[in-house]
Amino acid sequence: MNIQTSLKKNIAKLVALVILIGGSLIVLVPLLWTVSTSLKTPGEVFGDNFFPEVWKWSNYSDAVNAIPFFTFLKNTLIVLVPVLIGTVFSSALCAYGFARFKFKGKRWLFLVLLATMMLPGQVTMIPMFIMFKEVGWVDTFWPLIIPSFFGGGAFNIFLIRQFMRGIPRDLDEAAFMDGANRWQIFMKVMLPLSKPPLVAVGIFTFMGVWNDFQGPLIYLNSTEKYTLALGLSMFKGLYNIEWNMLMAATILIMLPVLIVFFVAQKYFIEGISISSAMKG
Amino acid sequence: MKHKSRSEKAGYLFILPWFLGLLLFTIGPMIFSLILSFSKWDIITGIGSIEFVGLDNFVNIFKDELFYTSLKVTFIFALVSVPLYQIISLLVAMMLNMRTKGMNFFRLIFFMPSVIPAVAVSMMWIMILNPEYGILNKALSLVGIEGPAWLQDPKYALSALIVMGIWGIGNTIIIYLSGLQGVPEELYEAAQLDGAGIVRRFFSVTIPMISPTIFFNLIMGIIGGFQYFTQAFVMTNGGPLNSTLFYNLFLYNKAFKTYEMGYASALSWILFAIILIFTLIVIRTSSAWVYYNGDDDKD
Repeated sequence: MNIQTSLKKNIAKLVALVILIGGSLIVLVPLLWTVSTSLKTPGEVFGDNFFPEVWKWSNYSDAVNAIPFFTFLKNTLIVLVPVLIGTVFSSALCAYGFARFKFKGKRWLFLVLLATMMLPGQVTMIPMFIMFKEVGWVDTFWPLIIPSFFGGGAFNIFLIRQFMRGIPRDLDEAAFMDGANRWQIFMKVMLPLSKPPLVAVGIFTFMGVWNDFQGPLIYLNSTEKYTLALGLSMFKGLYNIEWNMLMAATILIMLPVLIVFFVAQKYFIEGISISSAMKG
Repeated sequence: MKHKSRSEKAGYLFILPWFLGLLLFTIGPMIFSLILSFSKWDIITGIGSIEFVGLDNFVNIFKDELFYTSLKVTFIFALVSVPLYQIISLLVAMMLNMRTKGMNFFRLIFFMPSVIPAVAVSMMWIMILNPEYGILNKALSLVGIEGPAWLQDPKYALSALIVMGIWGIGNTIIIYLSGLQGVPEELYEAAQLDGAGIVRRFFSVTIPMISPTIFFNLIMGIIGGFQYFTQAFVMTNGGPLNSTLFYNLFLYNKAFKTYEMGYASALSWILFAIILIFTLIVIRTSSAWVYYNGDDDKD
């Protein structure tokens, strides 16, 4: 390589690096500013300083008390835990059915499964609301929980099924020869071997429930049943806004997802890539 | 196979949860929704009072000015934001694709906003976009620009949401990055040997090779515009002067504010039709640019 081209390459790299650093600042500055606002006094919020003079950590305890934060957290967990179990387990179950069995109409059913991924949620939103209203489940957590136990979502089934098809059949055959039945093969062979897609489904489900806004908005009416996402938005409307506390609450809601993200970043990034590759 | 009949039964049992869910939460509601879309009903009176009205809902929708407003808002959002986000994402992804240390760090930073709950993002940006003490207008005033009232100004509210969206395009960046990583290095080397410069390589190698990703992202962006809800609900609630009345918000208002269940159901089918048309375009054209490696489903 001659000097000129390598010089050109290095300049291009430098320019790209500068742009990337600039882009990172665009991402980080709003976040930092939110954190710093959450630590300001109400007076400072309107001032020109980026950082507060004294970090007012008590904003956080004030915010947690002003909105019933722990009630909202508890409600979110009441929904989250069963939905996680229901989604991961039932999607794995159905994925196993599609990955390892021969039965009449399987191909057709699988096509239906794929087709349901294209159906926008708005179409079923209204009739499902009416259905749950008729059984008296509006303003309870059931409408947010129960559906997850019925297959856990077409996309999740598809994701796990693709992975299970890659597991060598010799493994289930061997277990079968040892006298294991289908259920035992599923529990003892397939589930442990399918850990990567199960973890990915778990993470996406966690994110989905934690971030879900429209579901709780439709089904939960009384404040003491609100989830965090819904509660935060209502806090903005219900109380005289104090920006510092509002931002403190915002940070508190972000924190768990950000922690999960940094711990499990590999799964996030892989999951996103896989989903685009499959749909594309 | 020896265990065929037993195996067949077991197969049905394993997919039973999904199948029941399909009937209970997809097909059943779809049929109900279809009936509703040809009926008039407020949910307060019992199910017995559903009144069949033929095509009235659709006729009324196409006479409703707000319907066109919501279509306009949604399409403007999609037409501006989709190409804008795609170009920025692709450029950033190409830079992230360089073989240099520290790329993982940048990848993490750029992706981070797209995991933050939409409600939290909305709250942050209400503050950022505040005309007096928001950081955006403060930054603009440093370079001598007087920023508008963003969310309070019907001329700027939609633009504000579009600008805010740039902050969260990490998802798209990652999808492009994985597309770029699938382009064989040999193609670039061959093009370089043939004397193709950076620009030429971009248009003759990169773009064709990642065309499936581009198309996927385009369609997802358009669909995303039609599902856009939380930010519009929390930040502007459709205002000011309906300048951010997204389609999905309009639908929500009809169903859960004025309880026009029939009308809202009809709206949801129109939404479905629009999304379906875009999806069909992808499928119809995909054979031309998507490489299938012949996944022969033998079982």
